[in-house]
Parts: sequence; structure tokens; C-alpha cells
Amino acid sequence: MEPITINRKESKLRVAPEWADVCFTCGTCAGGCPVTGVDGMDPRKAIRMAALGLDQELIDSRFPWICTLCGRCEYACPQGVEILKVLRRARTLRERDKVPGPIHKGVVMDLERGNNLGIPRDDFLFLLADLAKEMDEDEGFPGFYVPVDKKGANVFVTINSKEPFGEPDDMKFWWRIFYCAREDWTTASENWEGVNWGLFSGDDEAMKTLVGRIVDHMERLECKTLLLPE
Amino acid sequence: MFEKYRVVSVHQLLKEYIETGRIKIDKSIHEELTTIHDPCNYGRKSYKSFGEAFFEEPRWVTQQCCKNFVEMHPNRMNNYCCGGGGGAWAMPYDQERIYYGRVKAKQIMDTGAKMVIAPCHNCRDQIMKSLNKEYDLGIEVKYLWELVADSLVVEPWSEEEIKKANELRDAQYERDGVDLDEEW
Repeated sequence: MEPITINRKESKLRVAPEWADVCFTCGTCAGGCPVTGVDGMDPRKAIRMAALGLDQELIDSRFPWICTLCGRCEYACPQGVEILKVLRRARTLRERDKVPGPIHKGVVMDLERGNNLGIPRDDFLFLLADLAKEMDEDEGFPGFYVPVDKKGANVFVTINSKEPFGEPDDMKFWWRIFYCAREDWTTASENWEGVNWGLFSGDDEAMKTLVGRIVDHMERLECKTLLLPE
Repeated sequence: MFEKYRVVSVHQLLKEYIETGRIKIDKSIHEELTTIHDPCNYGRKSYKSFGEAFFEEPRWVTQQCCKNFVEMHPNRMNNYCCGGGGGAWAMPYDQERIYYGRVKAKQIMDTGAKMVIAPCHNCRDQIMKSLNKEYDLGIEVKYLWELVADSLVVEPWSEEEIKKANELRDAQYERDGVDLDEEW
């Protein structure tokens, strides 16, 4: 076995070897984590791996992905070890084509087509109009429609793509509230995605781009309030 | 922090609408014992990132709609994740996700609540579509805004308001090329 050099500069996870002393290995983190034991892992062992230079082993393991990044371990840690940060960074360092499940594909889709599920603009606009017509004519909300790209609206609202894709009627919950509140609101015809999967895939660059799009909407439409209904 | 725009989560807006009387709520619609789930991202993680956690707002909003309210334990900063967070809902590790959720399922069971309110899409999906089934919870699960929407006292708009909205709608559909009569 080859000896490994451990220092902050060489650590992919940016964990200094001193962390081995900072962490008392008390197990508070592990004791409060619902997935302790899965794959023989827990947050305490993850931090120990990082402090001992086993960066790549941690990055390649399933643990950073089975962990839900809930942050309970870090909140409870008496020594202030940034467990959550290390685990998310382990996600960032996973090769993009090895990110489990659809979250990286969703990020790419969002960057290319404006939402995680690739719903085209015309389908989206038709769906909104169709649902609004149901509310207007059959469900007791006469006059309701979905204002799109409305300049000067008070509230700009993003949309979770799973709703237009699979649970379209669920969009009506907020619409009914806006109707009753007589809110002056709007959403966008494109780039309306409210779910930033870069947060979970560990992709900070993509996150910035996607947040930037929302800022662009706010500037372009001169809205006063941004509602992120996630 | 955000000087140019006001950025709000679901909590501030719902609370504001109720508090200022912009929407009216019928408290008699939801009689069943109800509890709320604290999403990690609105609690611990929001507190860490922005110095602000949303614990009291969802409780206040829920109790405007529900007479019978009960807390899960532990809650707020020490709340347990539903098990579907961090992208786990979309991850291919279903068995691990369900195993993770056993703690949340037990918390819910211990309250005896028949309805669980979730202020987060992800938590709602995990509790409603997975935990409810896997652990036979026999509960109803609603988004916080779904609870409010289902509690609304709806006062339809006036003729004048409807006319104005119809005009704006028609102009928008014209601009965007939306034609509902078109065959698909």
C-alpha cells in the first residue's frame, strides 16, 4: 500500500488533517442520522475518511447520495464540523455521468430547454390556458386566467416542472389563492423552472446560471416580489 | 440582503394574505387532527444559509385552517428529514429512502394525526406517495398552500373585474399564439 500525503491543499474535499482532532468521534452525528449503518457508513465515518485522506473512496461511495443532506448532524455537532458541506462537496466531485438517477440529466435539460423535464413552450402555454378555462367556466372562479410575462406584475412565480408534467391540477392551489387575494401576479413562458437540481447534484455553476434566469425575469418584467414556491 | 426585490417563501405570502384579510378562511372544513412536518430546507438549512428559519409561520397558517393541531417530536431545528430530501426522491436508492423514512413515519404515527401538512414539494411526495403506503399510516397529506386553497371562502369577482381580466387574457393569448379551439 502506498503512503498518502494528507494536507488541506491535496485534499479534494478541502478537509485539513487537523479535522481528525477537531472531530472527537463522539458519534452525536451518527446517533441522530436515520441512515447510520447503511453500507456500514455514518456521518462520523465519512468525516474520518475525509480527514484520513480517503477522499476518492468517499466520493465513489453511495453514502453522499443516500444521505439526504438534511443537516441534522452538522447542527448537532458540538465541535462545529461542517459535515454537510463535506458531503455535498463529495457530490460535486462525482463525475457528472456518474451522478445517480435523473438529477444531473435534469440540470442539463434545464440548461438546454428551460425546465428539468423539457416541456416545450407551446405545450406549456396551452396547458395553462386549458386549466385556467376549467377554473373560469366550471370551478367557480369566473375571470381567472394565468398571466404570463406580464410586465409590472407585483409577484413573479416560478413553477415546479413535475406539476405541468404529471400533476397539472395541483397548480390550481396557488391559482385559487391568487384569485381570492386578487393578486397581480405572473409567471414566464420560458425558463420558468423553480426546481434547481444543481443544489442536489452539487453543481454550483449550473445553479448560478439557473438563478440568473430568475433574476433576468425580475428585471425584464419589473416585478416587485419573487415567490419561490418550493 | 435583497434590496431591489422582495424574495418570499410560501410562508410569508400565505400568512400575509390571511393576516391582512385578503383571503378568508373557513376553519370548519378541516376537523381532523393535523400535524405539520418541518422541511429541512425551510428550517435548519435556511437558518444556516440566510439566518432565518420558517418554523412559526407554517404552524400559524395551519392553525388558521385547522382546529385540532398536534406537534411531532422532535420538531423545528431537531426535526427529522422525511427521507426524500437532497434529491433522494429522484435517486435510484428506493429501499434506502424508505428505510430512512421509518423515523418520520414513527413520528407521524405517534401523533395520532389523520392529516399531515408539508410546506415542501419533496417532503409531500415522500410522505404521501411513499411513507403513507409503506408504513400503513392511513393519513391524508396536503401542501401548506393546498390546505389554504381548500379552506378558502371564495368570493367571485365582479362583472367589471371579470370583463377587465377577459380583455387582458385575450390580448395575452393573441400575443402568445394560444388558441384553445385548435385541435391537438
